[in-house]
Amino acid sequence: MSMLTLKGPRWVTVRQHRRALWTLPAAVAVSLAVFVVLRRQAAGATPRTGTDPFRELREALGYGGLAALLLPLLVGAFVAGPMVARELESGTYRLALTQSSTPRAWLASKITVAAVTAVACAAAFGLVHRFARLPLTTSYEYSWADRGPYETLGTVLPAYCLLGVALGAVVGQLVRRTTAAMAVTGLATGLVMAVLGAVRWSFLPARTVTSPLGAQFPYPPRDAFTTDFGLITSSGGRLPEWACTRSGSLDGCPAELNVTGQYVDYHPFTHYWPTQSIETAVVLVLAALALWGAFAVLRSRHP
Amino acid sequence: MTDDPVIEATGLGVRYSRRGGWALRDCSFGLPAHRVCALVGPNGAGKSTLLALAAGLLRPTEGAISAPPREETAYVGQDKPLYPQLTVDETLRMGRELNPGRWDAKSAARIVQEGGLDGGARIRSLSGGQRTRVALALALGKRPRLLLLDEPMADLDPLARHRLMGALMADAAENGTSVVMSSHIVAELEGACDHLLLVDGGRVRLSGPVDDVVAAHRLISGPATALADLAPHTVVESRTTGRLLTALARPNGPLDTDTWQTAHPSLEELLLAHLRSPDAPALAVGPRSAEAVRA
Repeated sequence: MSMLTLKGPRWVTVRQHRRALWTLPAAVAVSLAVFVVLRRQAAGATPRTGTDPFRELREALGYGGLAALLLPLLVGAFVAGPMVARELESGTYRLALTQSSTPRAWLASKITVAAVTAVACAAAFGLVHRFARLPLTTSYEYSWADRGPYETLGTVLPAYCLLGVALGAVVGQLVRRTTAAMAVTGLATGLVMAVLGAVRWSFLPARTVTSPLGAQFPYPPRDAFTTDFGLITSSGGRLPEWACTRSGSLDGCPAELNVTGQYVDYHPFTHYWPTQSIETAVVLVLAALALWGAFAVLRSRHP
Repeated sequence: MTDDPVIEATGLGVRYSRRGGWALRDCSFGLPAHRVCALVGPNGAGKSTLLALAAGLLRPTEGAISAPPREETAYVGQDKPLYPQLTVDETLRMGRELNPGRWDAKSAARIVQEGGLDGGARIRSLSGGQRTRVALALALGKRPRLLLLDEPMADLDPLARHRLMGALMADAAENGTSVVMSSHIVAELEGACDHLLLVDGGRVRLSGPVDDVVAAHRLISGPATALADLAPHTVVESRTTGRLLTALARPNGPLDTDTWQTAHPSLEELLLAHLRSPDAPALAVGPRSAEAVRA
């Protein structure tokens, strides 16, 4: 608990940024209120045939999930800009670094305050999301593998928040101008999220179901996340699913393609937590590296 | 009271960028403890760099500087850095939070109250002079052994300057604080300071107790034809008006009083003469022992 008591540099950090620090819990509270209202509406409505009673809830969850993806970027930009670079830019670091407390404590207090707030709010937003999603668990278009729900419902969102904070701490010191530091940190954090988002379904090997040519496309399990589907040739090679129709004949495939069957690649829901764990570990390692870099820069500049 | 230097620099040099020029070069000096030291020089001379080095805000590019640890050093930057969004009371609370075990709330509060400041006022709403007062309160509340002040009084009106300087000097004398104060306003320093460090172009030009440095110089006037007679002495600056020669020199022996009229220069005359003649040789007068000063 001694990490969290508001004393010394941590008291100063909270005093300086209390308004900004309150916006995150406030945003989580607002999102909770919105979802409570939407869930009540959805439960009380008598849907006409052909309409989706959960449409509004689904859309709100979609936007909420995307907004949650911005959280690590915003938190990182806040640490880089208002917390670190502005002190270096405006010269107030000379006030902070000539007190009895050390430069290490100065930087650590900013990192601690930002990290605790961001991780707590990311986790709370995940719980709000989980609550709001309950009526949708059997519905389509809101899969556990989609961007937004995937991050928000798991452990990667808090991890990305930590990465944002650590990147902000190092970038804020290197780019000593507030707005530039914010932009660089936001871009860097977003880039890591985009890259890991693109490769995360390669962490674990996908499962495959096949069916012979002419039969229906095979069905993966109901809650599976389909990553790819197409045609299999006699040599075991794969062709895109439009290879047959592209060659001109509408019924059946031309013989020279040697197509013998069809396949569907998918991740079962059991891959969700292992994938989350691997991604979280990678992000935490990156965050630790950035944190080490931040303190190395600090040490090299301030005795 | 010992005469150990509170700051000691050897071969100190600072360069802000690899290609840039040197902000300080080859600076070696010692500043005595329990004294008020004036750090004088024109704008861009390296005064702020020197104070930042002593405060531990900068690492020297070459050489070394020894100063008390951060707990015992207080620093007030030229622009009086304070957090604009905090109130005066919160700023003083910050002093307590960041200096546990050292903070003297009473004397910090006294300095703020003497200025008639409202504790609930935000720093961003204060005038330059009021900010100076808060910054000094923060520095003195730390009970420092060494107080580093960069152009402390620049944005104060003459009356406030006089009062605040008096309060500062009284506090320093009472606690035996060593003070290093930079300024380009010589009038602000005369009478308040007992040690002098003149920095110009990144180098130390004069260093020593004010009285000794002044005593080492003479204002000389005499016939222009007798210029050659001054050869054995170190002439800092000389000027000829018609047949009259006036010079500021460091005599290296007796001067012929039949030819020359001599007088002791004021501190201001001395400093200006050195600043007008960048090529004059540097002078370092060793600090006398405390007993000799008292005698």
